[in-house]
Amino acid sequence: MDTFGLLAEGLLAALQLQNLIYALIGVTLGTAVGVLPGIGPALTVALLLPVTYRLDPAGSLIMFAGIYYGGMYGGSTTSILLNTPGESASIVTALEGNKMARKGRGGPALATAAIGSFIAGLIATLALAFVAPWVVKFALAFGPAEYFALMVLAFITVSAAFGDSALRGLTALFIGLGLGIIGIDLQTGQARLSFGIPDLLDGIEVTTLAVALFAIGETLKIAADRALAKEEVLAVKGSIWMTKDDWKRSWIPWLRGSAIGFPIGAMPAGGADVASFLSYSAERTFAKRPEEFGHGAIEGVAGPEAANNASAAGTLVPLLTLGLPTTATAAIMLAGFQQFGLQPGPLLFTNNASLVWALIASLLVANFMLIVLNLPLIGLWVKLLTIPRPWLYGGILVFATLGTLGANGAMSGRLGPISFSFELLLLLAFGILGYLLRRFGYPIAPVVVGLILGPMAEQQLRRALAISQGDPMILVHSPIAITLYVVAAAAVLLPLYLRLRGRGDVLGQLASDED
Amino acid sequence: MNKFILAALVSGALALPSFAADYTIMAPAAPGGGWDQTARTMQESLQAEGISGNVQVTNVPGAGGTIGLAQFVNQSNGDRNALIVGGYVMVGAILTNASPVTLDQVTPIARLTGEAIAIVVPASSALQSVDDLAAALKENTGAVSWAGGSAGGADHITAGLITKAVGADPTQVNYIAYSGGGEALAAVLGGQVTVGISGYSEFASQIEAGELRLLAVSTAERVPNVDAPTLKESGVDVAVQNWRMVAAAPGITDEQKAAISADIEKMVNSASWKAALESRGWVNTYLAGDAFKAQLTEDIAATESILREIGLVQ
Amino acid sequence: MSAEPVRLARRPDGAALVIAAILAGIAAVIVWQTSQMRVPPIQARIGPTVFPYIIAAGLGLLSIGTVVSAFRRGFPPREDDNFIPIAWIIGGLVAQLLTLGWAGFSIGTGILFAFTAKAFGRGPLWQTIPLGVVFAFAVWFIFAKGLQLSLPMGPLERLVP
Repeated sequence: MDTFGLLAEGLLAALQLQNLIYALIGVTLGTAVGVLPGIGPALTVALLLPVTYRLDPAGSLIMFAGIYYGGMYGGSTTSILLNTPGESASIVTALEGNKMARKGRGGPALATAAIGSFIAGLIATLALAFVAPWVVKFALAFGPAEYFALMVLAFITVSAAFGDSALRGLTALFIGLGLGIIGIDLQTGQARLSFGIPDLLDGIEVTTLAVALFAIGETLKIAADRALAKEEVLAVKGSIWMTKDDWKRSWIPWLRGSAIGFPIGAMPAGGADVASFLSYSAERTFAKRPEEFGHGAIEGVAGPEAANNASAAGTLVPLLTLGLPTTATAAIMLAGFQQFGLQPGPLLFTNNASLVWALIASLLVANFMLIVLNLPLIGLWVKLLTIPRPWLYGGILVFATLGTLGANGAMSGRLGPISFSFELLLLLAFGILGYLLRRFGYPIAPVVVGLILGPMAEQQLRRALAISQGDPMILVHSPIAITLYVVAAAAVLLPLYLRLRGRGDVLGQLASDED
Repeated sequence: MNKFILAALVSGALALPSFAADYTIMAPAAPGGGWDQTARTMQESLQAEGISGNVQVTNVPGAGGTIGLAQFVNQSNGDRNALIVGGYVMVGAILTNASPVTLDQVTPIARLTGEAIAIVVPASSALQSVDDLAAALKENTGAVSWAGGSAGGADHITAGLITKAVGADPTQVNYIAYSGGGEALAAVLGGQVTVGISGYSEFASQIEAGELRLLAVSTAERVPNVDAPTLKESGVDVAVQNWRMVAAAPGITDEQKAAISADIEKMVNSASWKAALESRGWVNTYLAGDAFKAQLTEDIAATESILREIGLVQ
Repeated sequence: MSAEPVRLARRPDGAALVIAAILAGIAAVIVWQTSQMRVPPIQARIGPTVFPYIIAAGLGLLSIGTVVSAFRRGFPPREDDNFIPIAWIIGGLVAQLLTLGWAGFSIGTGILFAFTAKAFGRGPLWQTIPLGVVFAFAVWFIFAKGLQLSLPMGPLERLVP
């Protein structure tokens, strides 16, 4: 049977009433857990996957698809409304999305995130169905040298999130890079900067840092703000729906985000966070009104949210075609697939064709369910902001600590007779850091970006040089690497050129006014 | 949001009746990994066979299992119900991390399963056999890059042992560590490295599909239904298996140890355990009592000496 | 960093000088710790100490930049923050940290909830702590019993069979 026939058959199976109900339950549970501040998609999938084991394979696949997409989407809601991303891929969403929410435009921000996620999910799932074998070939062509070039590109794009001072932006980035050195060095097994504390040997967990800097830092800053303490809840002004202008500004970022997210998600060392950083920077570069970035530009929500969801589907490419889990979420999914009788790998599409197509059809249905469920819910989500602050922030801290304990609950610290969770101690310390950074005008996102990208860049560079036995020419040995460096150079020069040209226009204008 | 919490509460309460625990098995790794799956398979089997009414699994991830091991030793002293899952990776991790707690401080019960480490090359590689690999290593050890799991783990140790056994200098091993067998697989498939070395199951589907060529497996005996020689058959005197074990708490009495050993033996001989191993593709390498203890001591000594030679432990 | 002219006549920003000192301190710690490492004798590659030294150098330069910025008054004006609520929240987190191990998730987290509510002006504690404990217990029940998340147990949690 050809691809379309198989997909149609899968869709027919997925569209049975019973399966639709499973999809709805999956999406609802996934969104409900994913929306809790501090609980990211990996934990959501890990927690909810066992629920699906009780069903028949088709039913469990479809419920699983709902949970996966629901969990990926749920995180954006609290990022936008409360500035409390539960994981690294929603950090960029918080940058512009929360600024929009503060201006009373939480509704349109949520809507562009939901529709962008839907469109990206649709495009990426179809891409998974039709072009997975070619994408995976491209992804495998990425060796350490190419990854290092990609990291250079990503580092340059971070500057888009620096805010108004290069000094403070770089300082934030270097704090993140410094935190990234902590732990066992993968290449030599040597401990670095762990001060003899065993809990530090595995390094700083990105989720812990992100939740602490954003959720706890934000809570502290808002609690300390005398002006906010008096002010009543910020109401959602105007329509909660997107205006015509919002649509006009969103659709290209949705497509661009999907195009960036899918291939990056498919790379064995890519990931949704890297995809969302690159998308944010691309939107900032191409924006008609770049001055709005940092003050609530809708493109900065539409693009990264699309990229983040497209990369979620992209992750399935190496997982299904190579049996290669590239993220924590994917590793949990691999275990789940084995329960469903799917044995991911190169023979999957020939041996388990019907189950694979059932999964892809399920993803399409789940994606559709997600938007059916979430568009009407936007009105309800924005009401989150009307919860009185004491209860709202009390709840945020409860879930932030729950997520941290759930991911790593070891009571490994000791203070006299009392044993405590070292991970929570880190959460507290980074929370205070988050407050101090805010107080002194430092941007938050670069810290997390440094922690994510620093170790990746270091490992890839060292791998490349080890393979070449120290010959640095390996870094520019392939067309892909050279292309990436050219794009990186363009990312620096293009905005400069655009700005100069823009200034030139203004100067020309002024000159003509003088006449 | 309250509605969802209520819905989750109701569905949770309906779906999963709760029990009081009898055995508590610690998996010193994150959910989803090999040790976690071993612990959860034990949980299912012990309960299904009625050996123990209620079994709970706890996860304490980190640092090759040494964080979980330290917590187990500190908190379970004399607890008859506490078990921990572990494996060969722990032996290396204890040494490279200079862990304050070692396997001497727990009560080993039995080796449960073992997996061969596979030595593979891309299908397009010029290396056809272990002999070719040995020749390449002897010619220029550094030019042969090995992709495998983290430094100091079973994969790295095996690469070091092979290099030493063919007569090349183990300090020159050009080992490229990846954060999991999966990422190493991508590096081998993409032709980024010369050789891939990791658990057989990581590479199995690619070997079947003809994308990778299996040069040899590391175990003393051949892997059933796999057409590849062992290292020993190929003239390289190395035999390693990446085993997993179960251990009990320190400070338990001999009677308690005997009772636990009996429970584990019953589990290993049960139909549900055998079926679970079959479905997961694990090989039963059950070994208990003094024989296991002797093997453990031997493994620790061999690992320490090769890690010293590679230069990871000083 | 900014185009502002140098005005050394004004008093430097004290807090910024403290930040500069902290950055320099971190750089020193990284250099010190990295110099203590034993590097395995592996040929022809960038070892595990190179990146730490680069990052330490970067932090050192940024520290100097921060000193310059402090003298130029380059930092944005700071708001008049109220530190009492911050103390309540940090107190709540510390209390949770120290009670979780023996009192269990519900009691420890209930205290955190109540202290946070207090920071935002809602009290009194004798009312909000029980409320927080009930809320945290419900959360514990859903996640620990419904979804098998392992969370610390205490006397309250042990009441549930």
